[in-house]
Amino acid sequence: MTGFLEYVPGNSLLHRMNPVAKLFCALLISVACFCTSNLIFLACVLIFDFALAAHCKMTRQAMGLAKAVTIFSLILAVIQLLTNSTGMVLVPLPWGYIGTGGVIGAVTIILRLVAAAVPLFLVMYVTKMTDLANSVVKVLHVPYKYAFTFTSTVHFIPVFMNDMAGIMEAQTARGVQFDQGSIVKKIRLMVPLCIPLLVSSVRKTNSAAIAAEVRGFNLRTRESGYKQYPFATLDVVSLVICVCILVVAILLGVLL
Amino acid sequence: MIEFSHVSASYDGELAVLRDVSFRIEDGSFVAFVGTNGAGKSTTMRLINGLLKPTEGQVLIDGTPTTELKTSELAQRVGFLFQNPDRQICNNTVREEMMFGFKALGKESPEAEVRADEIMAAFGLNPDDDPFLLNRGTRQLLALASIIVLQPPVVVLDEPTTGLDFRECTKVMEIIRRLHERGTTVVMVCHDMEVVADYAESIIVMSAGRVLAQGPTYELLRDRVLTQEASLVAPQMVALSLALGSQHPQLANTAVGQANTLSEMERALGLEIAEGGEPR
Ligand SMILES: Nc1ncnc2c1ncn2[C@@H]1O[C@H](COP(=O)(O)OP(=O)(O)OP(=O)(O)O)[C@@H](O)[C@H]1O
Ligand SMILES: [Mg+2]
Repeated sequence: MTGFLEYVPGNSLLHRMNPVAKLFCALLISVACFCTSNLIFLACVLIFDFALAAHCKMTRQAMGLAKAVTIFSLILAVIQLLTNSTGMVLVPLPWGYIGTGGVIGAVTIILRLVAAAVPLFLVMYVTKMTDLANSVVKVLHVPYKYAFTFTSTVHFIPVFMNDMAGIMEAQTARGVQFDQGSIVKKIRLMVPLCIPLLVSSVRKTNSAAIAAEVRGFNLRTRESGYKQYPFATLDVVSLVICVCILVVAILLGVLL
Repeated sequence: MIEFSHVSASYDGELAVLRDVSFRIEDGSFVAFVGTNGAGKSTTMRLINGLLKPTEGQVLIDGTPTTELKTSELAQRVGFLFQNPDRQICNNTVREEMMFGFKALGKESPEAEVRADEIMAAFGLNPDDDPFLLNRGTRQLLALASIIVLQPPVVVLDEPTTGLDFRECTKVMEIIRRLHERGTTVVMVCHDMEVVADYAESIIVMSAGRVLAQGPTYELLRDRVLTQEASLVAPQMVALSLALGSQHPQLANTAVGQANTLSEMERALGLEIAEGGEPR
Protein backbone atom coordinates (compact mmCIF):
# COMPACT_ATOMS: atom_id res chain seq x y z
CA MET A 1 0.00 0.00 0.00
CA THR A 2 1.46 3.35 -0.99
CA GLY A 3 1.02 6.37 1.21
CA PHE A 4 -1.13 9.42 0.73
CA LEU A 5 -0.03 11.44 -2.34
CA GLU A 6 3.05 9.29 -2.64
CA TYR A 7 4.65 8.94 -6.08
CA VAL A 8 3.60 5.79 -7.93
CA PRO A 9 6.30 4.78 -10.42
CA GLY A 10 5.26 4.04 -13.98
CA ASN A 11 5.81 4.85 -17.62
CA SER A 12 2.39 5.99 -18.80
CA LEU A 13 1.71 9.07 -20.92
CA LEU A 14 1.00 11.02 -17.75
CA HIS A 15 4.25 9.89 -16.17
CA ARG A 16 6.21 11.04 -19.19
CA MET A 17 4.64 14.47 -19.49
CA ASN A 18 6.42 17.61 -18.41
CA PRO A 19 5.55 18.28 -14.74
CA VAL A 20 4.57 21.87 -15.43
CA ALA A 21 2.35 20.83 -18.34
CA LYS A 22 0.73 18.21 -16.13
CA LEU A 23 0.06 20.76 -13.43
CA PHE A 24 -1.42 23.22 -15.91
CA CYS A 25 -3.59 20.60 -17.56
CA ALA A 26 -4.96 19.56 -14.19
CA LEU A 27 -5.61 23.18 -13.25
CA LEU A 28 -7.35 23.85 -16.58
CA ILE A 29 -9.62 20.85 -16.11
CA SER A 30 -10.41 21.89 -12.56
CA VAL A 31 -11.19 25.44 -13.57
CA ALA A 32 -13.34 24.10 -16.39
CA CYS A 33 -15.40 22.16 -13.86
CA PHE A 34 -16.19 25.37 -12.03
CA CYS A 35 -17.13 27.28 -15.20
CA THR A 36 -20.24 25.32 -15.97
CA SER A 37 -23.01 23.49 -14.18
CA ASN A 38 -23.76 21.30 -17.15
CA LEU A 39 -24.19 17.82 -15.69
CA ILE A 40 -23.36 16.02 -18.91
CA PHE A 41 -20.13 17.99 -19.27
CA LEU A 42 -19.14 17.25 -15.66
CA ALA A 43 -19.92 13.57 -16.13
CA CYS A 44 -17.78 13.52 -19.26
CA VAL A 45 -14.87 15.14 -17.41
CA LEU A 46 -15.25 12.57 -14.64
CA ILE A 47 -15.15 9.72 -17.15
CA PHE A 48 -12.11 11.34 -18.76
CA ASP A 49 -10.45 11.54 -15.31
CA PHE A 50 -11.01 7.86 -14.68
CA ALA A 51 -9.90 6.89 -18.16
CA LEU A 52 -6.62 8.68 -17.44
CA ALA A 53 -6.35 7.00 -14.04
CA ALA A 54 -6.99 3.60 -15.59
CA HIS A 55 -4.37 4.35 -18.22
CA CYS A 56 -1.69 4.89 -15.56
CA LYS A 57 -3.00 1.94 -13.51
CA MET A 58 -4.16 4.09 -10.64
CA THR A 59 -7.84 3.34 -10.61
CA ARG A 60 -7.57 2.26 -6.99
CA GLN A 61 -6.04 5.55 -5.88
CA ALA A 62 -8.50 7.53 -8.01
CA MET A 63 -11.41 5.63 -6.47
CA GLY A 64 -10.10 6.32 -3.00
CA LEU A 65 -9.76 10.01 -3.80
CA ALA A 66 -13.20 10.14 -5.36
CA LYS A 67 -14.66 8.52 -2.27
CA ALA A 68 -12.93 10.97 0.10
CA VAL A 69 -13.99 14.00 -1.94
CA THR A 70 -17.54 12.67 -2.20
CA ILE A 71 -17.78 12.34 1.57
CA PHE A 72 -16.48 15.86 1.97
CA SER A 73 -18.82 17.31 -0.66
CA LEU A 74 -21.81 15.48 0.85
CA ILE A 75 -21.94 18.19 3.51
CA LEU A 76 -22.21 20.88 0.84
CA ALA A 77 -24.66 18.75 -1.09
CA VAL A 78 -26.94 18.38 1.94
CA ILE A 79 -26.89 22.15 2.50
CA GLN A 80 -27.75 22.63 -1.15
CA LEU A 81 -30.54 20.08 -0.85
CA LEU A 82 -32.09 21.75 2.18
CA THR A 83 -31.76 25.37 1.09
CA ASN A 84 -32.23 25.34 -2.67
CA SER A 85 -36.02 25.24 -2.87
CA THR A 86 -36.56 25.34 -6.62
CA GLY A 87 -38.13 23.10 -9.20
CA MET A 88 -40.75 20.48 -8.43
CA VAL A 89 -41.71 19.88 -4.80
CA LEU A 90 -40.37 16.52 -3.60
CA VAL A 91 -40.38 16.74 0.21
CA PRO A 92 -41.99 19.65 2.07
CA LEU A 93 -39.88 21.21 4.82
CA PRO A 94 -40.90 23.72 7.55
CA TRP A 95 -38.99 26.50 5.77
CA GLY A 96 -39.55 25.48 2.18
CA TYR A 97 -39.20 22.22 0.35
CA ILE A 98 -36.69 19.84 -1.18
CA GLY A 99 -37.12 20.33 -4.88
CA THR A 100 -35.72 18.88 -8.06
CA GLY A 101 -33.55 22.02 -8.29
CA GLY A 102 -31.95 21.15 -4.98
CA VAL A 103 -31.34 17.56 -6.03
CA ILE A 104 -29.72 18.65 -9.28
CA GLY A 105 -27.67 21.24 -7.36
CA ALA A 106 -26.49 18.62 -4.91
CA VAL A 107 -25.50 16.15 -7.64
CA THR A 108 -23.71 18.96 -9.49
CA ILE A 109 -21.67 19.86 -6.43
CA ILE A 110 -20.53 16.29 -5.87
CA LEU A 111 -19.75 15.68 -9.54
CA ARG A 112 -17.95 18.99 -9.86
CA LEU A 113 -15.75 18.58 -6.80
CA VAL A 114 -14.81 15.01 -7.67
CA ALA A 115 -14.16 15.83 -11.32
CA ALA A 116 -12.06 18.84 -10.34
CA ALA A 117 -10.11 17.19 -7.51
CA VAL A 118 -9.16 13.89 -9.12
CA PRO A 119 -6.83 15.32 -11.82
CA LEU A 120 -5.08 17.58 -9.33
CA PHE A 121 -4.37 14.67 -7.01
CA LEU A 122 -3.47 12.36 -9.87
CA VAL A 123 -0.69 14.75 -10.80
CA MET A 124 0.79 14.22 -7.34
CA TYR A 125 0.74 10.46 -7.83
CA VAL A 126 2.40 10.51 -11.26
CA THR A 127 5.01 13.19 -10.56
CA LYS A 128 7.97 13.04 -8.28
CA MET A 129 7.82 15.96 -5.90
CA THR A 130 11.39 16.95 -6.72
CA ASP A 131 10.58 16.98 -10.43
CA LEU A 132 7.57 19.14 -9.84
CA ALA A 133 9.53 21.60 -7.72
CA ASN A 134 12.54 21.71 -10.04
CA SER A 135 10.48 22.14 -13.18
CA VAL A 136 8.42 24.90 -11.61
CA VAL A 137 11.70 26.63 -10.75
CA LYS A 138 13.21 26.02 -14.21
CA VAL A 139 10.22 26.69 -16.41
CA LEU A 140 8.15 29.18 -14.45
CA HIS A 141 11.06 30.92 -12.69
CA VAL A 142 9.44 30.47 -9.31
CA PRO A 143 12.04 31.10 -6.57
CA TYR A 144 13.29 27.77 -5.24
CA LYS A 145 12.37 28.81 -1.70
CA TYR A 146 8.66 28.72 -2.50
CA ALA A 147 8.84 25.51 -4.47
CA PHE A 148 10.72 23.93 -1.59
CA THR A 149 8.17 25.17 0.94
CA PHE A 150 5.44 23.53 -1.07
CA THR A 151 7.22 20.21 -1.55
CA SER A 152 8.27 19.95 2.05
CA THR A 153 4.72 20.69 3.20
CA VAL A 154 3.42 17.83 1.08
CA HIS A 155 6.32 15.68 2.17
CA PHE A 156 5.54 16.28 5.84
CA ILE A 157 1.85 15.34 5.62
CA PRO A 158 2.41 11.57 5.80
CA VAL A 159 5.15 12.09 8.37
CA PHE A 160 2.74 13.93 10.64
CA MET A 161 -0.01 11.43 10.01
CA ASN A 162 2.42 8.70 11.01
CA ASP A 163 3.39 10.67 14.12
CA MET A 164 -0.23 11.14 15.13
CA ALA A 165 -0.91 7.43 14.71
CA GLY A 166 2.15 6.65 16.84
CA ILE A 167 1.11 9.08 19.54
CA MET A 168 -2.41 7.69 19.63
CA GLU A 169 -0.96 4.19 19.92
CA ALA A 170 1.27 5.23 22.80
CA GLN A 171 -1.70 6.74 24.61
CA THR A 172 -3.92 3.73 23.93
CA ALA A 173 -1.23 1.59 25.49
CA ARG A 174 -1.53 3.77 28.58
CA GLY A 175 -5.24 3.19 28.80
CA VAL A 176 -6.70 6.12 26.88
CA GLN A 177 -9.84 4.68 25.36
CA PHE A 178 -9.44 5.51 21.70
CA ASP A 179 -10.78 2.11 20.88
CA GLN A 180 -14.25 2.63 22.31
CA GLY A 181 -16.92 5.29 22.66
CA SER A 182 -18.40 7.84 20.32
CA ILE A 183 -16.58 10.04 17.83
CA VAL A 184 -17.17 13.12 19.98
CA LYS A 185 -15.48 11.38 22.89
CA LYS A 186 -12.58 10.31 20.72
CA ILE A 187 -12.07 13.84 19.43
CA ARG A 188 -12.11 15.15 23.00
CA LEU A 189 -9.43 12.60 23.87
CA MET A 190 -7.37 13.62 20.87
CA VAL A 191 -7.13 17.31 21.75
CA PRO A 192 -4.42 16.92 24.42
CA LEU A 193 -2.38 14.84 21.97
CA CYS A 194 -1.97 17.84 19.72
CA ILE A 195 0.70 19.04 22.16
CA PRO A 196 3.20 16.23 21.50
CA LEU A 197 2.35 16.41 17.80
CA LEU A 198 3.01 20.15 17.77
CA VAL A 199 6.23 19.74 19.71
CA SER A 200 7.49 17.01 17.43
CA SER A 201 6.53 18.89 14.27
CA VAL A 202 8.19 22.11 15.38
CA ARG A 203 11.28 20.12 16.31
CA LYS A 204 11.26 18.32 12.96
CA THR A 205 10.74 21.41 10.82
CA ASN A 206 13.34 23.29 12.80
CA SER A 207 15.95 20.61 12.37
CA ALA A 208 15.02 20.19 8.70
CA ALA A 209 15.52 23.93 8.20
CA ILE A 210 18.89 23.88 9.90
CA ALA A 211 19.95 20.81 7.93
CA ALA A 212 18.98 22.56 4.68
CA GLU A 213 20.74 25.74 5.69
CA VAL A 214 24.06 24.11 6.56
CA ARG A 215 24.02 22.36 3.21
CA GLY A 216 23.86 25.65 1.39
CA PHE A 217 20.14 26.02 0.82
CA ASN A 218 20.45 29.76 0.27
CA LEU A 219 22.97 29.31 -2.52
CA ARG A 220 20.52 27.41 -4.64
CA THR A 221 19.26 29.21 -7.72
CA ARG A 222 17.44 28.37 -10.93
CA GLU A 223 20.74 27.36 -12.51
CA SER A 224 21.57 24.86 -9.75
CA GLY A 225 19.53 21.98 -11.15
CA TYR A 226 21.17 20.18 -14.06
CA LYS A 227 18.01 18.48 -15.26
CA GLN A 228 16.14 20.33 -18.02
CA TYR A 229 12.39 20.17 -18.43
CA PRO A 230 11.67 20.90 -22.10
CA PHE A 231 8.15 20.82 -23.50
CA ALA A 232 7.53 17.97 -25.94
CA THR A 233 4.80 17.55 -28.55
CA LEU A 234 2.86 15.46 -26.06
CA ASP A 235 2.81 18.35 -23.60
CA VAL A 236 1.69 20.91 -26.17
CA VAL A 237 -1.05 18.63 -27.46
CA SER A 238 -2.28 17.92 -23.94
CA LEU A 239 -2.33 21.60 -23.08
CA VAL A 240 -4.27 22.39 -26.24
CA ILE A 241 -6.80 19.66 -25.43
CA CYS A 242 -7.23 21.00 -21.90
CA VAL A 243 -7.64 24.56 -23.14
CA CYS A 244 -10.32 23.27 -25.48
CA ILE A 245 -12.06 21.60 -22.56
CA LEU A 246 -11.98 24.90 -20.71
CA VAL A 247 -13.35 26.79 -23.71
CA VAL A 248 -16.18 24.28 -24.06
CA ALA A 249 -16.95 24.70 -20.36
CA ILE A 250 -17.04 28.50 -20.64
CA LEU A 251 -19.20 28.35 -23.74
CA LEU A 252 -21.59 25.95 -22.02
CA GLY A 253 -21.66 28.23 -18.97
CA VAL A 254 -22.37 31.33 -21.05
CA LEU A 255 -24.78 29.81 -23.54
CA LEU A 256 -26.87 27.68 -21.18
CA MET B 1 1.81 -15.42 31.85
CA ILE B 2 2.32 -14.38 28.25
CA GLU B 3 1.94 -17.08 25.68
CA PHE B 4 2.34 -16.91 21.90
CA SER B 5 1.13 -19.95 20.04
CA HIS B 6 1.90 -20.17 16.32
CA VAL B 7 1.49 -16.42 15.89
CA SER B 8 1.79 -14.79 12.50
CA ALA B 9 1.31 -11.06 12.08
CA SER B 10 1.46 -8.42 9.40
CA TYR B 11 0.93 -4.69 9.14
CA ASP B 12 -0.76 -4.51 5.77
CA GLY B 13 -2.50 -7.88 5.73
CA GLU B 14 -0.21 -9.17 2.99
CA LEU B 15 3.43 -9.44 3.95
CA ALA B 16 3.91 -11.53 7.10
CA VAL B 17 6.31 -9.75 9.48
CA LEU B 18 6.13 -12.56 12.05
CA ARG B 19 5.81 -16.18 11.02
CA ASP B 20 4.75 -19.00 13.31
CA VAL B 21 6.14 -17.53 16.51
CA SER B 22 5.65 -19.52 19.70
CA PHE B 23 7.06 -18.89 23.16
CA ARG B 24 5.98 -18.56 26.75
CA ILE B 25 6.99 -16.02 29.36
CA GLU B 26 6.29 -17.05 32.94
CA ASP B 27 5.13 -14.58 35.59
CA GLY B 28 7.98 -12.88 37.39
CA SER B 29 10.63 -13.54 34.77
CA PHE B 30 13.00 -11.07 33.13
CA VAL B 31 13.19 -11.76 29.41
CA ALA B 32 15.10 -9.88 26.75
CA PHE B 33 14.34 -10.02 23.03
CA VAL B 34 17.42 -9.73 20.86
CA GLY B 35 17.96 -9.77 17.12
CA THR B 36 18.88 -7.61 14.17
CA ASN B 37 17.02 -4.49 13.01
CA GLY B 38 13.74 -5.52 11.46
CA ALA B 39 13.75 -8.96 13.08
CA GLY B 40 10.25 -8.34 14.42
CA LYS B 41 10.98 -7.51 18.05
CA SER B 42 8.90 -4.34 18.21
CA THR B 43 6.15 -6.12 16.34
CA THR B 44 6.15 -8.83 19.00
CA MET B 45 5.91 -6.15 21.70
CA ARG B 46 2.92 -4.59 19.94
CA LEU B 47 1.25 -7.98 19.85
CA ILE B 48 1.74 -8.35 23.60
CA ASN B 49 -0.10 -5.15 24.38
CA GLY B 50 -2.75 -5.68 21.76
CA LEU B 51 -1.91 -2.75 19.49
CA LEU B 52 -1.54 -5.35 16.79
CA LYS B 53 -3.66 -8.49 16.60
CA PRO B 54 -2.27 -11.72 15.18
CA THR B 55 -3.42 -12.79 11.71
CA GLU B 56 -2.90 -16.39 12.72
CA GLY B 57 -2.47 -18.14 16.05
CA GLN B 58 -3.13 -16.63 19.45
CA VAL B 59 -1.50 -14.27 21.90
CA LEU B 60 -2.66 -15.16 25.40
CA ILE B 61 -2.26 -12.84 28.36
CA ASP B 62 -3.05 -14.77 31.55
CA GLY B 63 -4.94 -17.22 29.38
CA THR B 64 -7.11 -14.63 27.58
CA PRO B 65 -6.52 -14.02 23.87
CA THR B 66 -5.70 -10.38 23.13
CA THR B 67 -8.34 -10.42 20.42
CA GLU B 68 -10.95 -10.59 23.17
CA LEU B 69 -9.53 -7.62 25.08
CA LYS B 70 -9.58 -3.93 24.27
CA THR B 71 -6.15 -2.33 24.18
CA SER B 72 -7.21 0.14 26.84
CA GLU B 73 -8.17 -2.78 29.10
CA LEU B 74 -4.91 -4.53 28.39
CA ALA B 75 -3.14 -1.34 29.44
CA GLN B 76 -3.96 -2.18 33.05
CA ARG B 77 -2.15 -5.51 32.81
CA VAL B 78 0.73 -4.56 30.57
CA GLY B 79 2.69 -1.34 30.96
CA PHE B 80 4.39 -0.37 27.75
CA LEU B 81 7.41 1.85 27.23
CA PHE B 82 7.82 2.88 23.59
CA GLN B 83 11.06 3.28 21.75
CA ASN B 84 10.42 7.02 21.51
CA PRO B 85 9.38 8.75 24.77
CA ASP B 86 8.23 11.84 22.85
CA ARG B 87 5.23 9.93 21.55
CA GLN B 88 4.13 9.21 25.05
CA ILE B 89 4.72 12.46 26.87
CA CYS B 90 1.78 14.82 26.39
CA ASN B 91 1.33 16.87 29.53
CA ASN B 92 2.62 20.24 30.64
CA THR B 93 4.24 19.22 33.90
CA VAL B 94 6.00 16.14 35.15
CA ARG B 95 3.34 15.65 37.82
CA GLU B 96 0.47 15.72 35.32
CA GLU B 97 2.35 13.27 33.16
CA MET B 98 2.72 10.91 36.12
CA MET B 99 -0.99 11.12 36.89
CA PHE B 100 -2.09 10.82 33.27
CA GLY B 101 -2.36 7.05 33.31
CA PHE B 102 -4.57 7.08 36.41
CA LYS B 103 -6.77 9.68 34.77
CA ALA B 104 -7.06 7.66 31.56
CA LEU B 105 -8.06 4.57 33.53
CA GLY B 106 -10.40 6.55 35.79
CA LYS B 107 -8.40 5.64 38.88
CA GLU B 108 -7.33 8.96 40.32
CA SER B 109 -7.03 8.81 44.09
CA PRO B 110 -5.03 10.29 46.97
CA GLU B 111 -3.05 7.03 47.15
CA ALA B 112 -2.18 7.41 43.49
CA GLU B 113 -0.88 10.93 44.17
CA VAL B 114 1.26 9.65 47.03
CA ARG B 115 2.67 6.88 44.87
CA ALA B 116 3.43 9.35 42.09
CA ASP B 117 5.25 11.59 44.57
CA GLU B 118 7.30 8.65 45.86
CA ILE B 119 8.33 7.56 42.41
CA MET B 120 9.18 11.09 41.28
CA ALA B 121 11.39 11.41 44.34
CA ALA B 122 13.03 8.02 43.71
CA PHE B 123 13.68 8.90 40.06
CA GLY B 124 14.92 12.38 40.92
CA LEU B 125 12.22 14.04 38.86
CA ASN B 126 11.01 17.54 39.68
CA PRO B 127 7.18 17.55 39.65
CA ASP B 128 6.93 21.08 38.25
CA ASP B 129 9.34 20.71 35.34
CA ASP B 130 8.14 20.98 31.79
CA PRO B 131 8.62 17.50 30.25
CA PHE B 132 9.41 18.89 26.82
CA LEU B 133 12.39 20.82 28.12
CA LEU B 134 14.02 17.86 29.86
CA ASN B 135 17.01 16.13 28.29
CA ARG B 136 16.72 12.85 26.47
CA GLY B 137 17.67 10.64 29.42
CA THR B 138 15.32 12.38 31.81
CA ARG B 139 12.44 12.18 29.35
CA GLN B 140 13.06 8.45 29.08
CA LEU B 141 13.05 8.20 32.88
CA LEU B 142 9.80 10.17 33.05
CA ALA B 143 8.16 7.94 30.44
CA LEU B 144 9.28 4.89 32.43
CA ALA B 145 8.16 6.41 35.74
CA SER B 146 4.70 7.22 34.42
CA ILE B 147 4.31 3.57 33.43
CA ILE B 148 5.70 2.12 36.66
CA VAL B 149 3.48 4.30 38.83
CA LEU B 150 0.47 2.35 37.57
CA GLN B 151 2.02 -0.84 38.99
CA PRO B 152 1.22 -3.13 36.07
CA PRO B 153 2.07 -6.80 36.67
CA VAL B 154 3.93 -6.87 33.34
CA VAL B 155 6.13 -4.15 31.85
CA VAL B 156 7.20 -4.24 28.23
CA LEU B 157 10.16 -2.04 27.36
CA ASP B 158 11.13 -1.38 23.76
CA GLU B 159 14.81 -0.40 23.77
CA PRO B 160 14.70 1.41 27.12
CA THR B 161 18.38 2.38 27.01
CA THR B 162 18.96 3.33 23.39
CA GLY B 163 20.39 6.82 23.13
CA LEU B 164 21.23 7.07 26.82
CA ASP B 165 24.74 7.56 28.15
CA PHE B 166 26.27 4.96 30.43
CA ARG B 167 25.16 6.66 33.65
CA GLU B 168 21.55 7.16 32.52
CA CYS B 169 21.48 3.65 31.12
CA THR B 170 22.60 2.17 34.45
CA LYS B 171 20.05 4.29 36.28
CA VAL B 172 17.19 3.06 34.10
CA MET B 173 18.33 -0.55 34.24
CA GLU B 174 18.77 -0.55 38.02
CA ILE B 175 15.21 0.74 38.38
CA ILE B 176 14.03 -2.06 36.11
CA ARG B 177 16.02 -4.60 38.12
CA ARG B 178 14.40 -3.47 41.35
CA LEU B 179 11.00 -3.61 39.71
CA HIS B 180 11.71 -7.20 38.70
CA GLU B 181 12.90 -8.10 42.19
CA ARG B 182 9.55 -6.94 43.54
CA GLY B 183 7.79 -9.44 41.28
CA THR B 184 7.03 -7.55 38.09
CA THR B 185 7.43 -9.49 34.87
CA VAL B 186 9.86 -7.61 32.65
CA VAL B 187 9.97 -8.04 28.89
CA MET B 188 12.59 -5.95 27.18
CA VAL B 189 14.00 -5.36 23.72
CA CYS B 190 17.66 -4.41 23.75
CA HIS B 191 20.49 -4.22 21.26
CA ASP B 192 23.25 -3.93 23.85
CA MET B 193 24.36 -7.46 24.70
CA GLU B 194 26.36 -6.22 27.69
CA VAL B 195 23.16 -4.81 29.19
CA VAL B 196 21.21 -7.91 28.25
CA ALA B 197 23.83 -10.17 29.84
CA ASP B 198 23.94 -8.06 33.00
CA TYR B 199 20.22 -7.92 33.61
CA ALA B 200 18.12 -10.48 31.73
CA GLU B 201 17.53 -13.97 33.11
CA SER B 202 16.66 -15.42 29.76
CA ILE B 203 16.59 -14.28 26.18
CA ILE B 204 14.53 -14.91 23.09
CA VAL B 205 16.54 -14.64 19.89
CA MET B 206 14.66 -13.45 16.82
CA SER B 207 15.66 -13.29 13.20
CA ALA B 208 13.60 -12.41 10.11
CA GLY B 209 10.25 -12.77 11.85
CA ARG B 210 11.00 -16.07 13.59
CA VAL B 211 12.12 -17.14 17.02
CA LEU B 212 15.48 -18.88 16.71
CA ALA B 213 15.90 -19.82 20.34
CA GLN B 214 14.69 -19.20 23.86
CA GLY B 215 16.71 -19.99 26.95
CA PRO B 216 18.94 -18.80 29.79
CA THR B 217 20.91 -15.71 28.75
CA TYR B 218 24.48 -17.01 29.01
CA GLU B 219 23.68 -20.44 27.66
CA LEU B 220 22.44 -18.89 24.41
CA LEU B 221 25.11 -16.20 24.24
CA ARG B 222 27.77 -18.93 24.47
CA ASP B 223 26.22 -20.75 21.52
CA ARG B 224 28.45 -19.69 18.66
CA VAL B 225 26.27 -21.13 15.91
CA LEU B 226 23.29 -19.24 17.25
CA THR B 227 25.02 -15.91 17.75
CA GLN B 228 26.43 -16.16 14.25
CA GLU B 229 23.05 -16.93 12.74
CA ALA B 230 21.35 -14.05 14.56
CA SER B 231 24.29 -11.65 14.05
CA LEU B 232 24.70 -11.14 17.78
CA VAL B 233 27.93 -10.04 19.39
CA ALA B 234 28.45 -11.91 22.63
CA PRO B 235 29.53 -9.81 25.64
CA GLN B 236 33.28 -9.33 25.77
CA MET B 237 33.87 -11.57 28.78
CA VAL B 238 31.89 -14.40 27.19
CA ALA B 239 33.88 -13.96 23.98
CA LEU B 240 37.14 -14.02 25.94
CA SER B 241 36.34 -17.16 27.90
CA LEU B 242 35.07 -18.88 24.74
CA ALA B 243 38.27 -17.93 22.94
CA LEU B 244 40.42 -19.18 25.81
CA GLY B 245 38.45 -22.39 25.89
CA SER B 246 38.76 -23.06 22.17
CA GLN B 247 42.44 -22.16 21.86
CA HIS B 248 43.45 -23.99 25.01
CA PRO B 249 41.14 -27.03 25.10
CA GLN B 250 42.39 -27.92 28.57
CA LEU B 251 40.73 -24.68 29.80
CA ALA B 252 37.38 -25.25 28.09
CA ASN B 253 35.71 -26.93 31.03
CA THR B 254 37.45 -25.02 33.79
CA ALA B 255 36.20 -21.95 35.59
CA VAL B 256 38.22 -19.77 33.22
CA GLY B 257 36.67 -21.27 30.11
CA GLN B 258 33.20 -20.99 31.62
CA ALA B 259 33.45 -17.51 33.11
CA ASN B 260 30.68 -15.22 31.88
CA THR B 261 31.24 -12.09 33.91
CA LEU B 262 34.16 -10.07 35.14
CA SER B 263 33.69 -11.25 38.71
CA GLU B 264 33.57 -14.90 37.64
CA MET B 265 36.77 -14.44 35.66
CA GLU B 266 38.42 -12.70 38.62
CA ARG B 267 37.48 -15.58 40.87
CA ALA B 268 38.68 -18.15 38.32
CA LEU B 269 42.02 -16.41 37.92
CA GLY B 270 42.38 -15.53 41.58
CA LEU B 271 42.97 -11.85 40.97
CA GLU B 272 41.04 -8.65 41.51
CA ILE B 273 40.70 -6.12 38.75
CA ALA B 274 39.95 -2.55 39.77
CA GLU B 275 37.61 -0.34 37.80
CA GLY B 276 40.17 0.99 35.35
CA GLY B 277 41.07 -2.54 34.28
CA GLU B 278 44.39 -2.56 36.20
CA PRO B 279 45.14 -5.48 38.55
CA ARG B 280 44.90 -4.32 42.12
N1 LIG C 1 4.00 0.30 10.86
C1 LIG C 1 4.55 -0.59 10.01
N2 LIG C 1 4.00 -0.81 8.79
C2 LIG C 1 4.53 -1.69 7.94
N3 LIG C 1 5.62 -2.41 8.18
C3 LIG C 1 6.23 -2.25 9.36
C4 LIG C 1 5.73 -1.32 10.34
N4 LIG C 1 6.54 -1.37 11.42
C5 LIG C 1 7.48 -2.26 11.13
N5 LIG C 1 7.31 -2.81 9.91
C6 LIG C 1 8.16 -3.86 9.27
O1 LIG C 1 8.12 -5.00 10.08
C7 LIG C 1 9.38 -5.61 10.17
C8 LIG C 1 9.74 -5.84 11.61
O2 LIG C 1 9.82 -4.59 12.23
P1 LIG C 1 10.05 -4.40 13.79
O3 LIG C 1 9.84 -2.97 14.07
O4 LIG C 1 9.23 -5.38 14.53
O5 LIG C 1 11.58 -4.77 13.90
P2 LIG C 1 12.53 -4.66 15.17
O6 LIG C 1 13.04 -6.03 15.43
O7 LIG C 1 11.83 -3.96 16.28
O8 LIG C 1 13.69 -3.75 14.60
P3 LIG C 1 14.52 -2.58 15.33
O9 LIG C 1 15.64 -3.24 16.01
O10 LIG C 1 14.99 -1.76 14.16
O11 LIG C 1 13.62 -1.83 16.23
C9 LIG C 1 10.35 -4.71 9.44
O12 LIG C 1 10.64 -5.31 8.21
C10 LIG C 1 9.60 -3.42 9.25
O13 LIG C 1 9.94 -2.84 8.01
MG1 LIG D 1 12.02 -2.00 17.23
